[in-house]
Amino acid sequence: MPDTMPVLRVEGLEKRFPGHRSLLDVLQRRAARDVRAVDGLSFEVMPGEVLALVGESGCGKTTTGNLLLGLMPSSAGRVTVDGHEVGSLSHRELLRLRRTVQMIFQDPYESLNPRMQVAEIVAEPLRVHGEAGTPQETKERVLNALVQAGMTPPEAYLHRLPFELSGGQRQRVAIAAALALRPRLLVADEPVSMLDVSIRAEILNLLRALADEHGIAVLMITHDLSTVAAYADRIAVMYLGRIVEIGDARTVLGNPQHPYTRALRSVVPVPDPSARRRPVILSGETPDPSRIPSGCRFHPRCPVAFARCPTVDPPLYDLGSGHLAACLLVEDAAQAEAVAPAAPAVPAATERTAEAPPAG
Amino acid sequence: MTALVEINAPASAPTVAPRRPFVALLRRPMGAIGVGMLLIALAVAILAPFIAPYDPYANVRVTIFDIYQAPSGAHLLGTDDRGKDVFSALLYGTRVSLLVGFSAALIALVIGGLVGIVAGYRGGRIGAGLMRITDFFLVIPDLALQIVIVAIAGQSLVNIIIVIGALGWTTTARVVRSQTLSVRERKFVLRAKAIGAGDIHILRRHILPQVLPLMLAIMVLVISLAILAESTLAFLGLGDPTLTSWGQMLNFAFTRGAVSAGAWWALIPPGFAIVWVVLGTTLLGTALEEALNPRLKRHHLERDRSGSRPVPELDGAGSLVLPPPRPANAPLLSVRDLVVEFDSPSGPLRAVDGVSFDMRRGETIGLVGESGSGKTTTVLAMLRLLPPGGRVVSGQVMFDGEDLMGLDARKLRAVRWSRLAIVFQGAMNALNPVRTVGDQVAEAIRTHEPSAGRRAAITRAEELLERVGIPRQRARDYPHTYSGGMRQRAMIALALACSPDIVVADEPTTALDVMIQAQILELLAGLSSELGMATIMVTHDLGVVGQRCDRVLVMYGGIIAEEAEAFRLYAHPQHPYTQQLLASFPDLSHPERKLAGIAGIPPRLDDMPPGCPFAPRCPHVFDRCRVERPPAYDLSHGRRAACFLVEPGHERRPASAGGAADA
Repeated sequence: MPDTMPVLRVEGLEKRFPGHRSLLDVLQRRAARDVRAVDGLSFEVMPGEVLALVGESGCGKTTTGNLLLGLMPSSAGRVTVDGHEVGSLSHRELLRLRRTVQMIFQDPYESLNPRMQVAEIVAEPLRVHGEAGTPQETKERVLNALVQAGMTPPEAYLHRLPFELSGGQRQRVAIAAALALRPRLLVADEPVSMLDVSIRAEILNLLRALADEHGIAVLMITHDLSTVAAYADRIAVMYLGRIVEIGDARTVLGNPQHPYTRALRSVVPVPDPSARRRPVILSGETPDPSRIPSGCRFHPRCPVAFARCPTVDPPLYDLGSGHLAACLLVEDAAQAEAVAPAAPAVPAATERTAEAPPAG
Repeated sequence: MTALVEINAPASAPTVAPRRPFVALLRRPMGAIGVGMLLIALAVAILAPFIAPYDPYANVRVTIFDIYQAPSGAHLLGTDDRGKDVFSALLYGTRVSLLVGFSAALIALVIGGLVGIVAGYRGGRIGAGLMRITDFFLVIPDLALQIVIVAIAGQSLVNIIIVIGALGWTTTARVVRSQTLSVRERKFVLRAKAIGAGDIHILRRHILPQVLPLMLAIMVLVISLAILAESTLAFLGLGDPTLTSWGQMLNFAFTRGAVSAGAWWALIPPGFAIVWVVLGTTLLGTALEEALNPRLKRHHLERDRSGSRPVPELDGAGSLVLPPPRPANAPLLSVRDLVVEFDSPSGPLRAVDGVSFDMRRGETIGLVGESGSGKTTTVLAMLRLLPPGGRVVSGQVMFDGEDLMGLDARKLRAVRWSRLAIVFQGAMNALNPVRTVGDQVAEAIRTHEPSAGRRAAITRAEELLERVGIPRQRARDYPHTYSGGMRQRAMIALALACSPDIVVADEPTTALDVMIQAQILELLAGLSSELGMATIMVTHDLGVVGQRCDRVLVMYGGIIAEEAEAFRLYAHPQHPYTQQLLASFPDLSHPERKLAGIAGIPPRLDDMPPGCPFAPRCPHVFDRCRVERPPAYDLSHGRRAACFLVEPGHERRPASAGGAADA
């Protein structure tokens, strides 16, 4: 959709938390090590698109969500929502902007006030933004939002308290509250990880339907690649505060180009026992974001790292059709793409084999 | 914590109905008695002019014979030093005491509440400053200051109320602040901020409703303290001399010779009245706190009555009893008709209803189910680690020829952990924070092998840690220096300390990242094949089952819905629940498959369907399913399924297409 404007555009977003400086550091005149939680993030989300932000804990995906909602100030970069730059807005405008971006949290047991009835919870955003209108109008919008969130018949739920609802119903209420303001973008932070397995698909189908039928853009923050494969249009894989690979979900997962994506893809347990395969298990854990390695930030754990990796910080190379990867191994393929943009990016990109050899 | 949710949800739901906290309060004997006592005091205060035989404030002429008259028909509790009726004074005194108590408590509550909420919500410098002021007031000796201020400002009722109130707010402020702090961190407050709500809105709609009930409980206690303070002041001669209060009565009686006159009736009634109100408020306060915070009553890891321990504390060494040799093909573990119930106010709830399965040496079994399916309860019951309120009603757990249900506590301890170990979900938080990891592993070794020396145990602990991928030198570190994944490895090392025959892993990787999960699962798989350990993997993740398990038990509503080898289960699920579960589970190897959720919700323990537990959600349900519980039908290849559709002779077999190709 080249002619439509993205609902969300993030450019060079950064978030640093000031590091602790011990007495020893002060004496040795060492500068404090800032924790670079988000370190130069850029992406766009189109209307009706589901973009999954994937990564392990500590990669900065949740911080990103909080930054987009304006729950904490960013250190650098630009966030444009619906054409308005978030950073340049006054407090009042920011509040109004919040209407267009709504968040759905991970834990429906925690994110609903246990003492408020469903009707109050769903109407709260309307009240906060002074859109409540007459009691009749409020009720109508609350009922509409509940129906949109799949709570039918909505009247039956109005006066329930959260503890009277199942986990799936609670998450639907949270979604209804988010929908009450008719937002353009939903940020869903691990929306189903606390729910029972048999309930998850319904909630995910609901989010998918909101994107498809109402054109709402969804930024899904998750660690679950299986879910991403089934529900997201595009996927952005984060590692240590930066996107290392982004592109169409099927393409990226079917033919991952970055070694990190490839490893992540290989360790996802799949229910089919005949699909058992040797996982690429990376040793150790994600490094401390206050000590981001030099060069390519993934090189200390990379199974295919070579001499240049510790010195060159690879940018995102364009592999064609919106597939980008930040790995020196795809540099050549990307250049070939730049010369002949019409040619298919990587020969393997069209095959959907999981065990494609590294493109290096 | 699946275990917690499964066990506590049904039991606590009926008692904690927040809609009627007052009813819950009155259900508690303490609460009912406290409310009763206070209502009586209140009635007395209001009705004093009508029920008191005399007016203590009236000017009446008295003679020397009226003073300290013993109780009689005319004066029920005798007369005091001024010849006035003690009973009437007592009734009127209730008014002053309660007035002081309530007004002073209100002042204390408003100040304390404001300070606490601002300090808790704002935090930062303002919060820290306010808390320093609170600390300052907390260390001032209240009584001394009260005496000084009242003496200087004058002994009027208003002054007394203000002084007691203005000095009594510190406890309230501290409690309210900590409650505000914890509420502020909760997700629904974050959500309100994300909506765009301002501070006032958040305070009014989200913080206050959470803090107010707590303040109510504190208020009751502050009232009793204020009444006591007033009595003390009056007793010391600092009460309002124009008013009759209980403290004033005691003061006059003491200073004007009641003791030497033997006039007990002038002393005991006001004393009794003070005790009455203070006891009433204290009872009510305690009951209120319990009603509002049911967790005060019992912790789920509390030791239960049968003496079995919840977490394997590795003390109380038991010598290892060598079992008699068994035939090689007999199952290592054999569970038969295990039934587990939990107590609840509405009667016993059946969490596990007749679970049976066998396990061979070295085998990896997956126990799959959603929360509330009874999977965690099953393994806890096997090890007799059920939380309080839970018990095994019937059934057998034969482990290497012995019934674990019949073992005495000593023998059970010897089997548990050394031969049958468990790694809990979230076990990484179960390490003792003040002891090094190596020490804790060494302790586990020595507990079950007292002959091993200290040094030898530590060396073996280091080897074990190395084996699970923790460098030897880190054994001397404390748990907080470990990451979540490393702590989980340490817990596995702890479980392996005695080379058990079976390791039960209860959601061993639930809170961990996929890469760490892969590392841990790989580690478990490697160790079990190397050491010949059998593993029971309790999980909700069909992926883990598909990748790591030989055989799968699918649990639903406390029964085993289906049992099969992992590849047969995936290729041809027989039970409709298994089919639907597979159809709803995202599968990276088949991203094109459209996922369908299962309509409805898993059954609650207190609302279990009489027939098949899956009947309300089953697409193939027919009348029989709703009234009769299907037994487990044996099928080919050692599979079982508890569904009438697979009953021999039933003509309508469910679609046996693979879960992947299905739907």
